[in-house]
Amino acid sequence: MRFGDILRLCRQNLWRRKSRTILTVLGVIVGCSSIVLMISLGQGINEQNEKTIQSMGDLSIVTVYTSGSGMVNTGSGTESVKLDDKAVESFRTLSNVSGVTPMMNFPYNVTLKAGPGGRYIADYVQVMGIDMTQFDQMGYKVVEGTQPTKTGQAMAGEWLAYDFMDTLHGGDMRYANRGDGGYSCTYNAATGQCEEPEDQDPFFDPMNTQITLVTGTDYQGDSYTMQMYGSKGGGSGSATQSETINETLSISGLTKADQSKGYATSSGLVMDLKDLKALIAKVDPSAAKKTTTYDQVFVKASDLSSVPEVESQLKAMGYETSSYEDMRKSMEEQSRSIQLILGGIGAVSLLVAAIGIANTMVMSVTERTREIGIMKALGCYVRDIRVMFLTEAGAIGFLGGVIGCILSGLISLGINLVGMTLFASMYGVSTRDADSLSFGQRVWQMLVGGEDVTRFSVIPWWLFLFAILFSTLIGLLFGFGPANKAVKIPALDAIKNNE
Amino acid sequence: MSRAIIEVRNLRKEYPVEDETVVALDRVNLAIPQGQICCIFGESGSGKSTLLNQLAGMEKPTRGGVRIGGVPVSRLSERELAAFRQKHLGFVFQSYNLLPNLTAVENVAMPLMFRGVPKQQRERAARGVLKRVGLGHRLNHYPRQMSGGQQQRVGIARAFVTRPEVVFADEPTGNLDSKTKTEVMDMICAFARDFHQTIVLVTHDPQMASYADRIVTLLDGRIVDDRLNMPHQRSITSASDISAPPIKPITSTEPTANPRSTQR
Repeated sequence: MRFGDILRLCRQNLWRRKSRTILTVLGVIVGCSSIVLMISLGQGINEQNEKTIQSMGDLSIVTVYTSGSGMVNTGSGTESVKLDDKAVESFRTLSNVSGVTPMMNFPYNVTLKAGPGGRYIADYVQVMGIDMTQFDQMGYKVVEGTQPTKTGQAMAGEWLAYDFMDTLHGGDMRYANRGDGGYSCTYNAATGQCEEPEDQDPFFDPMNTQITLVTGTDYQGDSYTMQMYGSKGGGSGSATQSETINETLSISGLTKADQSKGYATSSGLVMDLKDLKALIAKVDPSAAKKTTTYDQVFVKASDLSSVPEVESQLKAMGYETSSYEDMRKSMEEQSRSIQLILGGIGAVSLLVAAIGIANTMVMSVTERTREIGIMKALGCYVRDIRVMFLTEAGAIGFLGGVIGCILSGLISLGINLVGMTLFASMYGVSTRDADSLSFGQRVWQMLVGGEDVTRFSVIPWWLFLFAILFSTLIGLLFGFGPANKAVKIPALDAIKNNE
Repeated sequence: MSRAIIEVRNLRKEYPVEDETVVALDRVNLAIPQGQICCIFGESGSGKSTLLNQLAGMEKPTRGGVRIGGVPVSRLSERELAAFRQKHLGFVFQSYNLLPNLTAVENVAMPLMFRGVPKQQRERAARGVLKRVGLGHRLNHYPRQMSGGQQQRVGIARAFVTRPEVVFADEPTGNLDSKTKTEVMDMICAFARDFHQTIVLVTHDPQMASYADRIVTLLDGRIVDDRLNMPHQRSITSASDISAPPIKPITSTEPTANPRSTQR
């Protein structure tokens, strides 16, 4: 028998018992869409997690540091590991490492002054020194300008300019949404909602402004005792109070904020390591004579998947490491188990639907006993009869799967649209954005997702494919028993002279 | 000169009924030459339907065997049987046994569909046969829209559409009134003569039996009478041309002359 003929018979037979077929398909629709929706909710959680992690910065950066007990077993005894130039060199030889830079923080309190008469002041500014030759390899990004080319130049963090306050206006500050996920909103009595203020321009353009770095005094010019940021590099805490140092810097460029590559990339100063060392030597001449050990070393893995390997190599050398890998993993595991639970709930309803398919097929075989006998008597192959019934069962599953996918797609869209509105009114963040979008634009956002779009239910294309295949397979599986029953009906039943 | 197309040899069929064994057929020997219309005649319970089932390979015999065209039907696997039925056998049933969700054309074309003949081709053939049985105006009607006589004509068309060598007709007129009975029997015989096909007709109706060339009478599972029939105006050469007495084993049966082979 040709498969086309089997399909035609299958359609006729399903159509013959319209209401029964529709009800069975309905069961599959419910089962299929519940699975798809449940998994899509899990996918939504996944998507949010990924966004959260991405906002944290470059995931391939491993931070290396030493703990107090950072010992390595050398065979004859233990010795403390040090983060010095030798260590940095040894990190470069590790496999799957694409960049290594030591990171050194300026160990004294820093106040920055800018503008006429030092009108704009930023206090407690972090100053970070890195190996500028590794800038690109480490994945540091420039927002504006270039890397420093000569002494006296430094790079400013993307948001540094917003840390300045206007001393002539009672310490006013300018505001910008730094896009780091931390919302600062102000309650608006008129609307009853918490509103995010609009981005403002900073007081000055850091690219065109000379900035004076002051250390040893607070912003009012009073000298105060030295603040230690780290225990290394700048002598001990009991060192003599340094003199007040003024250093004029010009900003060669702005760095893209990335928490994993140092907080200074957001609102601090980034300068070349040797410039920083020179600066430290000015404050504390004795420091220059010591061998430098670094606070931290950043190691960039060549890709995300090699992060664990790089980490384990570093740990084997006796160093402590941290990266977002662990967090990413635990989040992934968590969302996977949520997905499994949700999928399981959906699977139960599909199982019920599958039993429905089996029931329908058993009924159908019983009703058609005589027909099957006739077909066999007329020379229909047993295989064709089996295929015929399997096709019917599979078709019910397939139909249910397709309609279920369409339905769940629509429901998912609805969930997202409602969720978007609720979410917006709850947090007051994207209200403005959401209101400014037309309905069509919102639907489009929900479908494709995007940077600022919060989707609760995400259906990747493979989920539809999987759902349709799975429903069809379930249909076939549960149609198998009835089909075998049909096959066993003897042709003799047809010729018995019963009406 | 034509060989026996159906050979039945020492056939025995038992059925277990509770603790006892009922013998439905015993020591049946029969040779039916090609082109013969052979009637298996008997009362209800005489074993005639059982014999038909054995001939068509619907049931396995307890002992003995059936050969059709030299093929040991009783020993074929289910798949081989299906293939054999497709190619060589046709069936006309008492209760028509049309598929209710198929039109007349689709019902007739069904055996061809099992063979994998494309739709257009097989429906063209089906329409031709349906026109021959006088249902050219009913091609796309469903069984429930037709009378019993019409349904049986569709059944006949279905049995003959593949031009099978042997057609089994089990009480084909059992559910019909006398006028339609004659029509249906005439039709079956006409087909058989035109295509030189062998018909095995099972009936308990003497009037229907009179259409056959030969009447084999069964009683309690045994052949008690086997004689040639001279139906209507047709003449048969002579009784001695027909096969040997039924009790005689088939191996000793000489190839029998076909009654109509001398006619043409």
